[in-house]
Amino acid sequence: MKWNSFAKLGGVAAFAALVLAGCGSSNSFNGGSSKTLNWSISTELPTMDISKSTDLYSGQTINATGEGLLRYTGNSKVGPGVATSYKVSNGGKTWTFNLRKSQWSNGTPVTANDFVYSWQRTVTPKTASQYAYIFANIQNAAQISAGKMAPSKLGVKASGNNKLVVNLVKPQSYFKYMVAMSTFFPMNKAQVTKEGSKYGTNDASLLSNGPYVLKNWNSTKDSWYLSKNPKYWNAKNVKLSKINFTVIKDPSTALNSYNGNKIDYTTLNGVQVKQYKNKPGFENHAEASTFYMVMNQKKDPIFKSADARKAISLAIDKHHLVNTVLADGSLFPKGFVASQMITKNGTDFADAASVPEAVSYNMKQAKALWAKAEKATGQKSFNFNYVADDTTTSKNISQYVQNQLEQLPGVKVNNQNLPFANRLNRQTKGQFDITVAGWIADYPDPSDFLDLMTSKNSYNYGHWSNAQYDALVKKSESTDANNEAARWSDMVQAEKVLMKDQGVVPLYQQSLATLTRSNVKGVLFIPTSPEIDWTSAYMK
Amino acid sequence: MVKYLAKRIFYIILTLFIVATVTFFLMKIMPGTPFANQQKLPPAQQAQLAAQYGLNKPVWEQYLLYLVGLLHGNFGVSYQFSNQPVSYLIGSRIWVSIQLGAEAMVVGVLLGLIIGAIGAIRAGSWVDTSATIVSILGVSIPSFVLAVLLQVYIGLDTRILPIAGWGGFEYTILPMLALAAQPLAETARFMRTEMVDVLNSDYIELAKAKGLSKYGVIYHHALRNSLIPIVTIVGPLAVNIMTGSMVVENIFSIPGIGDQFVKSIMTNDYPTIMGLTIVYCLMLCVVLLITDILYGIIDPRIRITDSK
Repeated sequence: MKWNSFAKLGGVAAFAALVLAGCGSSNSFNGGSSKTLNWSISTELPTMDISKSTDLYSGQTINATGEGLLRYTGNSKVGPGVATSYKVSNGGKTWTFNLRKSQWSNGTPVTANDFVYSWQRTVTPKTASQYAYIFANIQNAAQISAGKMAPSKLGVKASGNNKLVVNLVKPQSYFKYMVAMSTFFPMNKAQVTKEGSKYGTNDASLLSNGPYVLKNWNSTKDSWYLSKNPKYWNAKNVKLSKINFTVIKDPSTALNSYNGNKIDYTTLNGVQVKQYKNKPGFENHAEASTFYMVMNQKKDPIFKSADARKAISLAIDKHHLVNTVLADGSLFPKGFVASQMITKNGTDFADAASVPEAVSYNMKQAKALWAKAEKATGQKSFNFNYVADDTTTSKNISQYVQNQLEQLPGVKVNNQNLPFANRLNRQTKGQFDITVAGWIADYPDPSDFLDLMTSKNSYNYGHWSNAQYDALVKKSESTDANNEAARWSDMVQAEKVLMKDQGVVPLYQQSLATLTRSNVKGVLFIPTSPEIDWTSAYMK
Repeated sequence: MVKYLAKRIFYIILTLFIVATVTFFLMKIMPGTPFANQQKLPPAQQAQLAAQYGLNKPVWEQYLLYLVGLLHGNFGVSYQFSNQPVSYLIGSRIWVSIQLGAEAMVVGVLLGLIIGAIGAIRAGSWVDTSATIVSILGVSIPSFVLAVLLQVYIGLDTRILPIAGWGGFEYTILPMLALAAQPLAETARFMRTEMVDVLNSDYIELAKAKGLSKYGVIYHHALRNSLIPIVTIVGPLAVNIMTGSMVVENIFSIPGIGDQFVKSIMTNDYPTIMGLTIVYCLMLCVVLLITDILYGIIDPRIRITDSK
């Protein structure tokens, strides 16, 4: 082969590259027109199948394209959705929902049977839903998902087209929040059956009964859009005609795209928060999520002593942790139950149940308490494995915590920062001395947090146990379940018991820091999933 | 040649089999489950799900089932993207990665050859020094740093090219440049060294003595002989581009398979991990095969038909 041939070869290759380049799919980053909202999202939507969705973003999209019996309208508030009203009877165990006449996006009516079908489908073992457990309080759900009973026995019945009757195992005052979660949305049986295994994998396989319909989407796409659903019962109050979505995984790319006017909204990471917290458009939303330290009482007898647990808490300056170590918008932890999640008569639960000394810092007192606890055990030196995630944030916290705890007499801390699955594995198997756990509430009720720390709960990794606490939690779910005031008071008391006894050491509350262009209005932020609702969004 | 190819293809299949086997067992050692909601799943429900997906079977049985599926061309269904076949997941993204990689390779190697050759011909001049500086920078700046710099200074500040995304040709330029830097620099370095050697060799002296013109000598004799060692680095460079693209695709929001690979590992998405491992391994084997064939074409002393 002569050199000429090489030149030709190169030319052909270069040409091929250009031709290939022309074949790329189009439609990324639609420019910023004022009528269309351009939203950025950090990952693809893995599925739009209501039974299969587990992640925040598909939950968000299902919430935009669908509607449950009720709809979140703000912090711990729900308003009418497909149901216009509901009645609770039979000692809180029977919920009857009256449904409005509404339509799917193909014009067929949304009926009570669509809810029955959807819920039955999710608890059926063959569906392999990862959220089936959330139906556990509906009659027979547990037996059905264990494969011991037919799905048709689920405690939800349609009475005609417009009435839905739900029977619960025990009264559950927060069931109103649960029916607003995307997992409880209706599904159209004819559509799901027709699409089979394709259901939820592309936009054509879906039917919507919510404010928007999804377009130009399949689960591997990195851009798609929501368009207004003219068949939605409240369509006259939906002002946006189109919301474009673009997947941008890298936080600095997202910020650059925002600054380059390609998108109207982006989330910010820690470093970016520092730069942008005083700029216009910055917002910091509290999430219903607490990160807390757990001490393993089974492995280390010293943690059976409340003094030792209090010493650990007092040795950590949470204000310093949140403002200097993290500095990413995370909030000071008021207690175990996240703040700004639920209020009663204008009082935040976290404030009502606040035990300031359980989250304060006093190294001198910490040392004294630790010495006291140490004396009681007779052990002089302690070598603790501190198990946490391997993210940058988590590593920074680990270093700070190590530094603080090693100031306690005789304490050595060995940091083990592990990938999430690994960390979780260690926690469930009890292979840690101290660990950091994070919890994100599914629904805005304190019980979502408080249940975790009851003696027999599998998430009580440290095996903290307190009879008074267990009794209060139980009371809130049984005798006081239908008495709102008494239930609230039980839960406040329970949280106080947990904090006074330092069952856990709250470290910080997670938040979502965002930049939104000033002409974007009416986007609703909710502290639990779906976090964002565009129903009333508009652009000025 | 046919015999040689048949042999090589057999080895590729063997390699794929070994890689798939090792990956399968390593993957099963990883802690955790493929269930995204594993933290909140009660143990009974987790067991139920595992049974549903056949994850409660002994690992060797799962392995045999996987192999049987593979022989039928079935890569399985992703856990992360529910109901989405892995073959579709890979199929819809791989061409994007191949296109970007091919562009970067072609541009990088061609420019590298030119820069290296010019550097060698004008050895010691300012042109040579600048070429050397360019190649040192290209080798030492990681592709992801270059990617961010290009994005900020060209995409955001001048707005000549898109910041990120995937659309027409203009979307490929910045990520392609970020990926091309390394092959460009490596090729230029090798080319310069080789060509300086070749230009000092006896047969070049002879060609000059025969009275051939300077460019005739370079074009007909020096270039071709300098290319031989370049071919040896094309394979490793292609591998570099494959690994580099995992980060660069992420930075430029490109829907390729690089990012998918990392994510599938983080989420224990077994069928996707396996599918992508096999695809990456196959791409690597093919690149190496092509390199070996190219050898024979460029250097008549290495005859493929001779190697039995």
